[in-house]
Amino acid sequence: MSSSPNLIVPNVSTLGVKEEPGQPLGLFFWICVFWIGLNLFGAIFANVLPLQNPLYENFNAINAAPGLHHLFGTDDLGRDILARVVYGSRVSITVGLGSILIGYGIGAPLGMLAAYRRGRFDAILTTVMYLLLAFPAIIATIAVLSFWTPRSLLKIIVVIGIASIPLVYRVIRTATLSVATKDYVIAAKVQGATDRRILMKELLPNIAPIALSFFLIGVATIIVLEGALAFLGLSVNPPTPSWGNMINEARTVLSQNIWLALFPSLALCLFLIALNFIGDRVRAHFDVAENKL
Amino acid sequence: MSDETLLVVRDLTTTFATGGGDLTAVNHVSFDLARNETLGIVGESGSGKTVLSRTIMGLQPRVNTTVTGSSIIDGFEVVGASENDKRTIWGTEVAMVFQDPMTSLNPVMRIGKQIDEALRVRLGMSRKDAKARAIELLELVGIPSPIERYNAYPGQLSGGMRQRVVIAIALACSPKLLMADEPTTGLDVTIQAQILNLLDELKERLKMSVILVTHDLGVVATRTSRIVVMYAGRIVETGTTREVFHHHRMPYTRALLESSPKVSNKSHTRLVTIPGRPPNLLNLSPGCSFAPRCKYATDQCHTERPELRPSIEPGHTFACWNPLPVNSEATLP
Repeated sequence: MSSSPNLIVPNVSTLGVKEEPGQPLGLFFWICVFWIGLNLFGAIFANVLPLQNPLYENFNAINAAPGLHHLFGTDDLGRDILARVVYGSRVSITVGLGSILIGYGIGAPLGMLAAYRRGRFDAILTTVMYLLLAFPAIIATIAVLSFWTPRSLLKIIVVIGIASIPLVYRVIRTATLSVATKDYVIAAKVQGATDRRILMKELLPNIAPIALSFFLIGVATIIVLEGALAFLGLSVNPPTPSWGNMINEARTVLSQNIWLALFPSLALCLFLIALNFIGDRVRAHFDVAENKL
Repeated sequence: MSDETLLVVRDLTTTFATGGGDLTAVNHVSFDLARNETLGIVGESGSGKTVLSRTIMGLQPRVNTTVTGSSIIDGFEVVGASENDKRTIWGTEVAMVFQDPMTSLNPVMRIGKQIDEALRVRLGMSRKDAKARAIELLELVGIPSPIERYNAYPGQLSGGMRQRVVIAIALACSPKLLMADEPTTGLDVTIQAQILNLLDELKERLKMSVILVTHDLGVVATRTSRIVVMYAGRIVETGTTREVFHHHRMPYTRALLESSPKVSNKSHTRLVTIPGRPPNLLNLSPGCSFAPRCKYATDQCHTERPELRPSIEPGHTFACWNPLPVNSEATLP
């Protein structure tokens, strides 16, 4: 057998180099990504998509069941549910993304700085944040939104965004703390790296997976919160659709029209499952311990 | 201070404020280090050797820590210097090799970039020059096919290779003093020797001084010219390596030497241990800290602390009331 010796000759190019295992993301992950992408696409291009006017009240088709003309049926005012679900995703997604961006914009830099600098700065800031955390965010947002009228999308985003700052702060601070004590951060320091460099090059890339994962889960949480506020009538004013206020409207006509409750709930539910799953998968994918590197 | 002296440490004391009171991890430590000399710092876990090596270069924690005394590296007083000032000597005057190569490299940065960083930021090299120099350094520390390895991530390298990279990073700005804090503890025995030989060879070639912190006397025996033995934050014996191994006076040094396993022993020989535990640094007795574990201890040892005093050979000092006789010999590990 002339070819057999070749089998035991190690591949020179990989000698001494371990293959990176990296947990595979899996098919379901990509289905979830596709689903989120589809929702985002719908939210952005709702105007140009061949959808009916979400505000047009067709009194000839009230509480219609799903059919050819109205794929998801119509509500108690004869409005097309499909169009309203798609337009409704705009509110949910805008609030979800906008608020968490405010939370990260303020909470993340503070959390990283506090964990890196420690000392009095950290002690004071952390105490303040924990005090804020002790106050239930939902009550606070309900209180503020009840009095801060007229309500607008921007106000809702700002209020929820501010409420999310302590949460983001805590997650980022803890993540940074565990990285900041690693030898490679000290190693960078004794090579004369500046604080700014250490924060940007050593700490940030290493907390990025956790930050991204919590970002996605944060979006999901805030969408639920917006749904709850809309259900209580504290989100955008009707007739502008949002998933939350559609479910609220459906409550009164539940016995005649199951579809009005079903489709927005389903949209909300699937969107959240997809977000949470992606968030979790991303974390596991980058988690060195779980990969047994 | 002569030109031959690189590092002067005087009365260096590091105190941590803890919930249980002040903990003095390094207690009035003084020694000198000459250029191109290798000094070994040995002691049990918790004897303060790591804190000492970090305090010497000004790397103590930012909070709840007080440092007094003096540590002068090539004319630069580290104690009391601001972080910004210390940054001017970190890397160029003094660099550090860490204990665990698994955690001392940034896992998400290519190793080449990690060497580049120092060169570009500290020495102001261009991207191209820095890359060429980084590859040179990788070659210097014995990494095969350095051009390909330049783009590898730490996760793709074995422990020994990573430690070589860590050394390459430490050497990037040609430091005059290299701190090696247990540089081989995280490695296989066969790799340990390779890394230690590499450090030795680089020290000669680059005319550095090296401080080798370890609990392994076998490591320091052949590779250091002088040894500092630490116990409970203090130096208890110091001298030339030969002197400390053959004519040690402090019973603790003897106990340390006896507890390292010897190849010449028959198999299944029980390992010799030091009875008792290292003392609680929060609650030290007024006497010699080693007295509770020492078989030669007298009443004086428990009530009065011995200061370092000279032995016969110049430069050999020890802190003990009841020293071993001068000609006492312990077998080399």
